[in-house]
Amino acid sequence: MLARVANNLFWMGRYIERAEHIARYLNVNYFSSLDAPNEKSQSRDHVLHSLLFMANGPVDDDYELTEKNVFFDIGLNSEKQFSILNSIKYARENANGARDLISTELYESINKFYHFVLNYDKDFFITKGLFDFTTQVAESTSIIRGKIRGTLLHDEVYAIIMLGVNIERATQVVRIIQAKYYDALNAQGGYDKKFSKSYEWTTLLKCIEAYDMMRRHYKKTPTSLSTLEFLILNPECPRSVMNSLVQVNNHISVLNEDKFPGKDTAAFLIGKTHAEYRFKTVDTIEGNVEDFIEKIQDTLIEIAKKIEKEYFNY
Amino acid sequence: MEYTIKYKAVNTYDALIDEAFWQFLLRPEENTTQNVRMARFTNSANAIVDTSTNTFGFPICRVHLKKPLDKISFEASYIISKQIENPFSALDSVVNSVHQDQIRSIDFKIEHERFLSATQLTQLLADQAPFSFDQSRSLFDNLNDLNSWLYHNFSFKTKVTDVNTTPVEFIEKGAGVCQDFTHLFLAIARLNHIPARYTSGYLHQGNGYQGDSQMHAWAECYIPEKGWIGFDPVNNLIALENHIKVAHGKDYTDCAPIKGVIYGNSKKNETTYTVEVEAREASDPDVILTSETYAPMPFKQQLAFQAQWQQQQYQQQQQLRQQQNTTDTSQN
Amino acid sequence: MSTTQQSIFSSYEKDPKFYDEIFDEKGNVKQVYQTLFDLYSGHSSQDFAKLNEKAKASFFNQGITFQVYNDQEAKEKIFPFDLFPRIIDPEEWETIEKGVLQRSKALNHFIWDIYHDKKIIKQGIIPLDLISTSANYLDQMIGIDPPGGIYNHISGTDLIKHSDGKYYVLEDNIRCPSGVSYVICNRTALKRALFGVFNHYNAHTVTDYAQNLLEIMESVKPRGVDEPNCVVITPGVYNSAYYEHSYLAKAMGVELVEGRDLFVENDFVYMQTIKGPEKVDVIYRRIDDAFLDPLEFRPDSALGVPGLFSAYKKGNVCLVNAPGTGFADDKAVYTYMPEIIKYYLGEEPILNNVHTYHCSRPDELKYVLENIDKLVIKPVDEAGGYGISIGNRLTKEEIEKVKQTIKASPRKYIAQPIMSLSVHATYIEDSESFESRHVDLRTFCLLGADKEFVLKGGLTRVALKKGNLIVNSSQGGGSKDTWVLKK
Repeated sequence: MLARVANNLFWMGRYIERAEHIARYLNVNYFSSLDAPNEKSQSRDHVLHSLLFMANGPVDDDYELTEKNVFFDIGLNSEKQFSILNSIKYARENANGARDLISTELYESINKFYHFVLNYDKDFFITKGLFDFTTQVAESTSIIRGKIRGTLLHDEVYAIIMLGVNIERATQVVRIIQAKYYDALNAQGGYDKKFSKSYEWTTLLKCIEAYDMMRRHYKKTPTSLSTLEFLILNPECPRSVMNSLVQVNNHISVLNEDKFPGKDTAAFLIGKTHAEYRFKTVDTIEGNVEDFIEKIQDTLIEIAKKIEKEYFNY
Repeated sequence: MEYTIKYKAVNTYDALIDEAFWQFLLRPEENTTQNVRMARFTNSANAIVDTSTNTFGFPICRVHLKKPLDKISFEASYIISKQIENPFSALDSVVNSVHQDQIRSIDFKIEHERFLSATQLTQLLADQAPFSFDQSRSLFDNLNDLNSWLYHNFSFKTKVTDVNTTPVEFIEKGAGVCQDFTHLFLAIARLNHIPARYTSGYLHQGNGYQGDSQMHAWAECYIPEKGWIGFDPVNNLIALENHIKVAHGKDYTDCAPIKGVIYGNSKKNETTYTVEVEAREASDPDVILTSETYAPMPFKQQLAFQAQWQQQQYQQQQQLRQQQNTTDTSQN
Repeated sequence: MSTTQQSIFSSYEKDPKFYDEIFDEKGNVKQVYQTLFDLYSGHSSQDFAKLNEKAKASFFNQGITFQVYNDQEAKEKIFPFDLFPRIIDPEEWETIEKGVLQRSKALNHFIWDIYHDKKIIKQGIIPLDLISTSANYLDQMIGIDPPGGIYNHISGTDLIKHSDGKYYVLEDNIRCPSGVSYVICNRTALKRALFGVFNHYNAHTVTDYAQNLLEIMESVKPRGVDEPNCVVITPGVYNSAYYEHSYLAKAMGVELVEGRDLFVENDFVYMQTIKGPEKVDVIYRRIDDAFLDPLEFRPDSALGVPGLFSAYKKGNVCLVNAPGTGFADDKAVYTYMPEIIKYYLGEEPILNNVHTYHCSRPDELKYVLENIDKLVIKPVDEAGGYGISIGNRLTKEEIEKVKQTIKASPRKYIAQPIMSLSVHATYIEDSESFESRHVDLRTFCLLGADKEFVLKGGLTRVALKKGNLIVNSSQGGGSKDTWVLKK
């Protein structure tokens, strides 16, 4: 496979995954805030700020935090690099570059998705369409994932797309955790006194579509500890960081056939990180969440860099 | 005659380049009067050098660089022997109507078609030609007259013209460098049905000839029965043992000593050249003295993740512009 | 029955000035179209409106689109597809097939000769100027022997049917003729929309094109290569024909590369893969000559591969089509085609040439200037229908302007009598019915070492604007599925 095309496939996977996480975060976080039990969690500024932070990192001071602005920028603003519209556009552009390698069915579903987003009525979206739009985005990405799994050979092409998907998934999940962690810190006090029992943890789980399964697993109201444990370390939770690392580890082995990959390789770093998290316990994370988030983000960037250097250098 | 030739080029860029190809056409031609006894080509980045031949069969060196840097230098050195020729062997003042008929025959035109057609750099319409041939004189004499006419009517001056200057512009300016003299010479000779080719090479400057410190250029013309004869309009000379030929072609484009393709964000680059031609004794040992040693350029860190992605976007935009301009021909 | 028939063909005008593909002089449906006509008449105009929408959506969703650039904004458009197929009967096809093959072979001999001995010029059959002044003649190709001796591996010949009912060749395209993917898409689209009609006809398949193209590419592999590595090179995703490039690569199962994926080392070509460099042997290139190699041609080309041409010259890689074929599909050379065919093949041309006046010849120039209103004026080296003037459509001022342009550079123009393209039933969205529109036919012919192939079918292009004679998609044309019937 061509190195350039591998790069396209990797980024296609990443952009699809990114679009989905942003859409879900927008949806769940906004709607759950409407009837949140404490004042802070209900406050517009608090929520809008959280949305922007998750999509694009720290928010400029002079940014006008209105629903219209925030929804439009995150959803359909073609001038914001982080918008869902642009994620889908880049996903399609990358799919275009690898068009001869992916199935017609997969291409068609990405293309349809792009035109759906491109032609979505912008006024409707910022006034009434938030739920409809974000739900459709999440559904379309599911369809695309289904096409990836069901219509491609499970060879290198598949492995590279899935590397992109899983690295992006881990990255986005960590970002969501980060955003909600700050929300929980900010929402302390008042009715919702305790950080560890903050309402934000429930929202966090819902953003990752893991609430129901979490309840089944722990049979208790989520706390900071159990939530972090479930979303970071539980290999059975499909969107946990650990699960993503397991997947990344499996897919890199399709590309790298060495039994003992060299010390500087992506495969080595992935294996090392995977092993490290396998034996991590949640008490080492709690109380040091910020450091932990920083570190895992750095590691994910480092992994992506190494993959680029080794496989996509054209 | 024995010569040592040293060519050096230093390229600097205003931003790191990621990847580059260069092609060099510098090696003196091996022919009946020239013999290359020793050759060396090095570059400061220690990039791999491979060899090939150009369209006219002249050997070229290629450098493919795949690491980021903003400065690179190249150095070529040659030791050659050059036979001294009889300066009178070229002269031919006999007017021969057979020659006139021959150069007008279709077979002759086809055989020399490459060196008879105008190129962009030798474009000149018949009514724009400032010099016309005298049919009562021999082909050689006409060409020789053209040679001294150029020498007397144009002055050698750098920085008034560039690599894209056409004969018409050169006539207007009245001054230029050896390329411009040669292009105008070629244009006029071709208008008079004489096959003429651009020739690049080194000039032994010991005798005060002009050619500045870069590579020199002159014209070679085909005269029936005589073959190819070199005319140097910058110095009003017939090319003999002071002219060390490297290559020939239709015009400068075919003989450019250095060509490069650069990938990266650099928008400006500067190249400085120096050429040294020194006469030597045949008995001197064939050793090329290294003037300086080059330390490899420091290996700069790979551009960051984000920057690479931006870079790709940048390249895509560049491509986009060209793709829109290229029609996939006969499409539709 | 008669009422529905009334509605979908009611706007169909029968103009005796043009050859009608469907109706004979008496206005009766021709036998070969009768079944189709009856089947179509059984559908209502609403049915067709719906089918038309569905077909359009299918093209759009599959991304079978090209970009149109207008004031910076790119718009995606589909190449309009028509629901009424064109049918060519077996006898008629036999002539076309033999004719285009004959032309392709003659052109290949011609290109070889021009880049070697130029015998045809020495014999005085065509003038030297015609070649040496052509912008598409590459003197770099002189003396190069391409693998298998083939230059124009892929030729697209454009045919029209004149009012006399005979086919005429309008032009040969031997640089990078495009459009073949639409032949295949049109077939698929028509099958999906109106599968019932295929049961009543026995049409040749068109899906075997990619396999044949691959075999042609493999047949011209460089010396010493057993299993050639073939690729398709594209200018990139923004090119208007990108869909076709990716379709062909996918259908042949070969890599689709861009210039930056390839590099040359020691005169061999490699592509950069995730497992390191891999040698490339045969390249189907869909980029123009000028962009192939920045070291040899346009130095600012970001689409090409530095050093590619010297690898080609050494015979280490084969380019399909060869560089420098463009001078031979020049419209001025076109006029010599009957002589070229006779000279190289010793045969009479099977397909007719449209009579052509060379503005470079003084007596013919005189005729052209006096009779512009009866002629089509074409620049010799423009593709895509640009720069064409149709004499009887021009105002007085425009005629004067055209005269001036021709006089300024006569070598650049030729003139031909206005040919009347045949008409065919075509679905028109505005009237929701079938109307008559002008059509032409592009055929696709492949030449390899000891192998040849003509696609049984072709691209019938249709001018959707009423009365318009220019069928190019850049000028608002569409296309039809084209059936070649089995014997």
